[in-house]
Amino acid sequence: MMTLWDASGGQTVMVTGIDAGVDLSVSGRLREMGLDDGHHVFCLRRGPFEGTLVVAIADCVYSLEQKIAKKIQVKLL
Amino acid sequence: MKRIILVGKPNSGKSLLFNQLTGLRQKVANFPGVTVELKSGKFEQYQLVDFPGAYSMSSLTRDEEIAVEKINQALLDEDTALIICNLDATRLQSSLMFGMQMQAMAHRYGKPMVFALNMIDEMTRFGHQIDMDELSRDLGAPVFAISAKTLQGIAEFKTGVLALAEQASIAVNAAETAALPPLDYSEQVKQSRLLAAKYGMQSTVVLKNQNTIDSFLLSNISGGIAFLLVMFLLFQSIFTFATPLMDGVENLIGLTATFVTDLTGPGMLADFLNDAIFGGLGSFLVFVPQIMVLTLIIGMLEDSGYLARAALICHRPLSYFGLSGRSFIPYLSAHACAIPAIMAARTIESPRKRLITMLTIPLMSCSARLPVYALLVAVLIPDTTYFGGLINLQGTAFFGLYFFGILTALMVSLVLSGSKLNDDTKSDMPFILELPTYRLPHWKPLIHRVMSSAKQFVYRAGPIIFMVSLGIWVLGYFPTGSGGLQNSYLGIIGHWIEPLFTPLGLDWRYGVAILMSFLAREVFVGALGTLFGIDGADENIAGLAANIQADGLTFGAGMGILLFYVVALQCVATVATLKAETGSTKLITALVIGYGVLAYILAALCAQLL
Ligand SMILES: Nc1nc2c(ncn2[C@@H]2O[C@H](COP(=O)(O)OP(=O)(O)OP(=O)(O)O)[C@@H](O)[C@H]2O)c(=O)[nH]1
Ligand SMILES: [Mg+2]
Repeated sequence: MMTLWDASGGQTVMVTGIDAGVDLSVSGRLREMGLDDGHHVFCLRRGPFEGTLVVAIADCVYSLEQKIAKKIQVKLL
Repeated sequence: MKRIILVGKPNSGKSLLFNQLTGLRQKVANFPGVTVELKSGKFEQYQLVDFPGAYSMSSLTRDEEIAVEKINQALLDEDTALIICNLDATRLQSSLMFGMQMQAMAHRYGKPMVFALNMIDEMTRFGHQIDMDELSRDLGAPVFAISAKTLQGIAEFKTGVLALAEQASIAVNAAETAALPPLDYSEQVKQSRLLAAKYGMQSTVVLKNQNTIDSFLLSNISGGIAFLLVMFLLFQSIFTFATPLMDGVENLIGLTATFVTDLTGPGMLADFLNDAIFGGLGSFLVFVPQIMVLTLIIGMLEDSGYLARAALICHRPLSYFGLSGRSFIPYLSAHACAIPAIMAARTIESPRKRLITMLTIPLMSCSARLPVYALLVAVLIPDTTYFGGLINLQGTAFFGLYFFGILTALMVSLVLSGSKLNDDTKSDMPFILELPTYRLPHWKPLIHRVMSSAKQFVYRAGPIIFMVSLGIWVLGYFPTGSGGLQNSYLGIIGHWIEPLFTPLGLDWRYGVAILMSFLAREVFVGALGTLFGIDGADENIAGLAANIQADGLTFGAGMGILLFYVVALQCVATVATLKAETGSTKLITALVIGYGVLAYILAALCAQLL
């Protein structure tokens, strides 16, 4: 199963789900940000030191840490 | 007084708008999470309240939690006349995500709300346009296109807002005829996306510039190098850029001193002016330019949008020490002053990391320590330069001191993160940070901030230094007169406290200066200035560093003092803020003692070993 963390720079992926283990307040926020089923995410790059992922979602750029990026399931487009 | 509240997504320009409406100067900077507590000011006959930004009504961080809690209170409060929801015109979707939720709540509680479509200047620069009437109709609320920066549309906005607030205080349901905001949560989410798709800008256009710059600043190699370079330049420049200015101030004080004492002629008055005023207070004023340079550079970094990038670059390395990437921003601003930095820690997602960050912030070298560093570095380190003046040995020593503070903070964090401190269920909130657009600094507020930092520095410590200098001078001058310091009243008290400082290789004069600096760290310099002024019969007023050198302070003892000042928590205001933010007097008392003991041991080791 591919997660957002596996996406590499320049790839657009589609969100297919968020791990059920994620705290509800966090998954709610992720969905509001646009990491919602069926939505597209453009992966810009991994930050230096591999700690974070930088993604463009709708009109914002966010950086997410590895721990949470690994809990977001995606599909390559 | 009736109230108007100003809410919206983080970094959408609320505080700049607030400043324009109230004439106040709340902090504005280019990263999410600048405002972390409610701030109010007067806007015509209303009280205007600036809120911390929030992405959503379900909060993740402490600053959001405060925003949401206070929004709920404001909705119930009958004095709330109007809600202004600020939107970033270039980022409609994320702005409306909060906006729609806010609107639904306002509707539920019968509070009138307007939208301020801010940053319209940036939107027009991108060549985008929005049909305001149609947007207003779709939203079912008045929308004003404004720019808090260029003031475009502000006049109309003011009259519009005042009229609505006025109306609202008579009849609450002004928006009766308008379309109903979606009350169901998932409808709100859908609606915000729909409206953003209809009116918003193409994300590729908005994000193009920042992504191009990021491809350099966030790439593995160039990003790392750029980060280290920025940090090195920051600390080096406090020294390099400020030195000529400091020399200027020093000369000016010297000239004034000569001029004034020539007027008074020799005697007790001249002694007093020379020792306490020019020697004590004057030696402290020399450092004002350094504070200004520091504020300028931190301000430029904050305005640029780079800080959010620095935070993400640091996230992984900082996690090893039990901290978050978000700890970076408070840590950086702590180099100006610990108090706002402790407040800024509210944006850290995990309570545990937030606590560790707060407890270690006092180890960052705040500007009050600058005078002590600068004085002793000038005494102990030769003024040598390498690479044609690019690298300066004294500047590097300065950098070393700052670095030592940071290193100690990381070590303490590591220890604390291994402890059982604050095991909260919310402890592992993830690191999610929005990266804002890069912007050029907004010069006028920046220059104002630099000037006010100088003013604050002088006003805060100046009176204390004056009083201490006065007290020390009186006790040190009498009963023996000029030159008889050892046998003065102060000398007698001094010899009594001396044993405490003997292990540090210091005599009682340094002891007095260190003890007095618990009132404010800068006092160290003023107190020593006065003491050496009384002691030295010569007329060498401005050259305190030279006087100390001639007096024979050893390298080890001098380094000891420096490390003592890096580590010791001597600031009463910081302690009070820490107590308020952590809610634990016991913890903070332990912290003060812990840092004090550590500082003393380090100083003693330096004096014995170096
Ligand atoms: N170009 C432009 N920039 C603006 C405008 N309004 C604010 N800014 C910039 O946007 C950034 C954020 O402004 P703030 O006023 O601090 O934003 P805020 O909404 O108070 O942010 P938080 O306190 O973090 O929630 C700053 O760099 C401002 O200079 C505007 O109308 N036009
Ligand atoms: Mg603000």
